[in-house]
Amino acid sequence: MIEAENLTRYYGDMLAVKDLSFRVQCGEVMGLLGPNGAGKSTTMKMLTCYLPPSSGTANIAGVALDRNIEVRRHIGYLPENAPSYSDLDVRTHLRFVGRMHGLPKATLEDRITEMAGVCGLHGVIHRRIDELSKGYRQRVGLAASMLHDPDCLILDEPTTGLDPNQIVEIRHLIRRLAEKKTVLLSSHVLPEVEAACDRMMIIDGGELRAIGTAAELARQGHGGAILHVRLKGGDAVLADVAGAFADVSIDSERDGQIVTAVLRHPDPDVLMAETVFRAAVAHDAVLLELRPETARLEDVFRRMTGKPVAEGQA
Amino acid sequence: MSRMLTLCWKEWRVMFDTPLGYVVATAFLLASGFFFGQNLFLVGQAEMRGYFSVLPLLLLFFIPAMSMRMLADEQREGTFELLATMPVRMLDIVLGKFAAVMLQITVLLALTLVYPLSLSLLGHVDAGQVAASYLAALLLAAAYAGVSLYASSLSSHAIVSYVLGFGMLLGLFLLVQAAATMPPSMQDWILMLSPVRHYQSMLRGVIALDDVVFLSGFAVLFIMLAWFQLERRRWR
Repeated sequence: MIEAENLTRYYGDMLAVKDLSFRVQCGEVMGLLGPNGAGKSTTMKMLTCYLPPSSGTANIAGVALDRNIEVRRHIGYLPENAPSYSDLDVRTHLRFVGRMHGLPKATLEDRITEMAGVCGLHGVIHRRIDELSKGYRQRVGLAASMLHDPDCLILDEPTTGLDPNQIVEIRHLIRRLAEKKTVLLSSHVLPEVEAACDRMMIIDGGELRAIGTAAELARQGHGGAILHVRLKGGDAVLADVAGAFADVSIDSERDGQIVTAVLRHPDPDVLMAETVFRAAVAHDAVLLELRPETARLEDVFRRMTGKPVAEGQA
Repeated sequence: MSRMLTLCWKEWRVMFDTPLGYVVATAFLLASGFFFGQNLFLVGQAEMRGYFSVLPLLLLFFIPAMSMRMLADEQREGTFELLATMPVRMLDIVLGKFAAVMLQITVLLALTLVYPLSLSLLGHVDAGQVAASYLAALLLAAAYAGVSLYASSLSSHAIVSYVLGFGMLLGLFLLVQAAATMPPSMQDWILMLSPVRHYQSMLRGVIALDDVVFLSGFAVLFIMLAWFQLERRRWR
């Protein structure tokens, strides 16, 4: 479990992360979203005891951040760009990481073989890391972060540089691991986070803007319900709907007999579709289309961070 | 302790999985052989004193080369973040790196043991004096390694680290040469603070406590400075 309370970090006078509080349960994958420079990496560096917070604290698996050697035992960390010792071969690198985490000799080689299998590294285990492609290096970093079987995995952009097949593989891997672990991963590839995470939080300018499941965020993104309606012969229907809901705003367009309308209501939980359907039946109008608009995460992101999405679909 | 040794083992692997280790070792042994052979064949003296009197200059060139990438490359490649988030204290990281440099120089110096051994076939070698000289060489190497590691912590470019380390050591070295031109009241201080001076005093075959303490203290001081430098980076 990861619990952060009022984490704040300054770089000199520059505020990088401000009063960030959140909680990730065991068995949960939390996505950390934000534009470049939003404070994602800084947050992760604080949680992994690389950077001390300027103020605030956090508990990792029940251990406070200031007991940093103890905390690090519970964390598997994949830093941004998955740094690894490029002069070593994969097995030697993993052996080094395992030994540094104090894995006993008896189990070390088995763990390396197991993790190499999980991350698809068997074919390159004796190759030098600087000969490997970006995708493989990313997997080496991932294998290294999981070698000591940590309770919490903190992954900074785990899927950058991977091809779509590898992304799906890694996503499955993360989901599988998450059954027993706490996972916090950052990304700015939105569909990626949507697919891999149970919950997500959006930060911008170092502040938490939104936190919740994809559906919860999507509703926040709209700030209301939107319904697209297309009717044949249905002016009376729209009048009925306007009468039934006080706050509804209707934009309609007429093309011959066909009326196309967008109905907006500030309350996202309101059920306008039923009213439209019953009104159409009552006035004998033909309902050609009745479609609630689901907010995409991109819209939410744009709304919360006030900037265009840095990288769209992966 | 075990993590320090693991780090030392890793550095050893990196050193000899890359050309750098072999280049440094070969160059060191060639230079060593030259200065030893010059004394033996050209001057015609069957003794180690000539070799040990140029050794500080050799170490001046080679120890910064062995240490330059130790901390600089970790920061450049981003692996420092990996290292610093492992369950290991920052001081152990610096000590592990220091141990790695010392391991390399010890092995290289051990290889030069063939010189006194071959001399003992030709004539009488004062074993005690040679042993004291080797101890002095190790202590001087430790002092130099401390300075070079500190230089390596200052930059994330290995070459810059080399120049910094070499520059600091050369400065210390030249200070002794320049001491003769200084007022007599300062001379004593300068000579007392010079690692090479303490090294030279041990070459006589006398292991004096103040020389040993000075040289190891010198190493400890710069290891501490390197440690503070790494910690400082986190707090900035």
